[in-house]
Amino acid sequence: MAIITPGKRFGKRLMHSKIFGHHAMLGKKSVFSDLNVTPLVDMFVILVLFLIANFSATGEILSMSKDIQLPEAANTDELQLAPVVQVSQESVIVSGTMIGRVDDLTREDYLNIPALEEKLREMKKQFEDLHNAANDSGAFKGDVNIQADRQVQFRIIKRVMFSCASAGYGNIAFATMAAGSGEGGEKKKDETASRD
Amino acid sequence: MAGGMDLGGGGGKGKKPLDTTINLVPFIDLMAVTIVFLIMTAVWTQLGRLQVSQSGQNASEEQQQDPNQLQPVTLLITEKELKLSVGGAQLEPIPIVHDDKGKMDVQKLTDKLKELKTQQPEQNAITVSTEDNVKYEDLVRVIDTCIGGQFPSVSVSPAST
Repeated sequence: MAIITPGKRFGKRLMHSKIFGHHAMLGKKSVFSDLNVTPLVDMFVILVLFLIANFSATGEILSMSKDIQLPEAANTDELQLAPVVQVSQESVIVSGTMIGRVDDLTREDYLNIPALEEKLREMKKQFEDLHNAANDSGAFKGDVNIQADRQVQFRIIKRVMFSCASAGYGNIAFATMAAGSGEGGEKKKDETASRD
Repeated sequence: MAGGMDLGGGGGKGKKPLDTTINLVPFIDLMAVTIVFLIMTAVWTQLGRLQVSQSGQNASEEQQQDPNQLQPVTLLITEKELKLSVGGAQLEPIPIVHDDKGKMDVQKLTDKLKELKTQQPEQNAITVSTEDNVKYEDLVRVIDTCIGGQFPSVSVSPAST
């Protein structure tokens, strides 16, 4: 089908008219018409700026699992890159390695979790060997993130914490979902300002 | 024409049009690829951390430096109530109430902590003793409230010890 230029269009009879048809045929416009891409470019630029503003270079520190629903907290700091101990209602996992089942751990009376402690010691040794090879001793700060489900009881958490501390990971951080903002966010701002 | 670029063609026989347009197609391609990359690498969940220490570690350093002035603040969490104590003197227990969504109501605790903070403005440390049956969600909520109540140095310990 032919492309028709926008504008006045006369009927077939008038097109052949000497009066009307003459003017209509005189102003012949080009058949080619450019698409206006300026709004598209504007939208792309705004989208790119928004995404870059929200871009996180560290990536995802925690792998979110459907078994673990994190509790919410308002007065939080930024999550640091560190080993993650995942505690769901079924199991305790470190770096993809299953340490034990929560049911079994609940029954035991030990203060620590030997398998977890051993695994963390191994990870610490690997970290130190790697950094010693690069002449970067003292880089180990003992940071560890605990990613636990909100329904887990403290009897498991305390054993995880004790094992972490025993293995040399003393700087324990509880991973949480950042709560909505509002009052908590304001408080955090005030606190930061007072620290400065 | 507005926005046109003068090409300076002069007035020769082969007159060129004065207006020219920049080819935006490569720019749009670049933008499209960048947007796809940024969307794929975007982190949508907002996560945070609550820094805690185990009781007996560096949390109580400050209060050990000047024991005469600062009285240690301890908060015991049981399944049913919160028990605040300052320097060994226990305050009135706060019953734990959960709302419809299972969230602990911490308004009374916030008020108590504010009151304590006005009494001891230099005190930044608090020890949270927790019973075994307390849920992690409640513990996190209490720690969050303590940090929000200007007690940023929180140490956690089991209630039995």
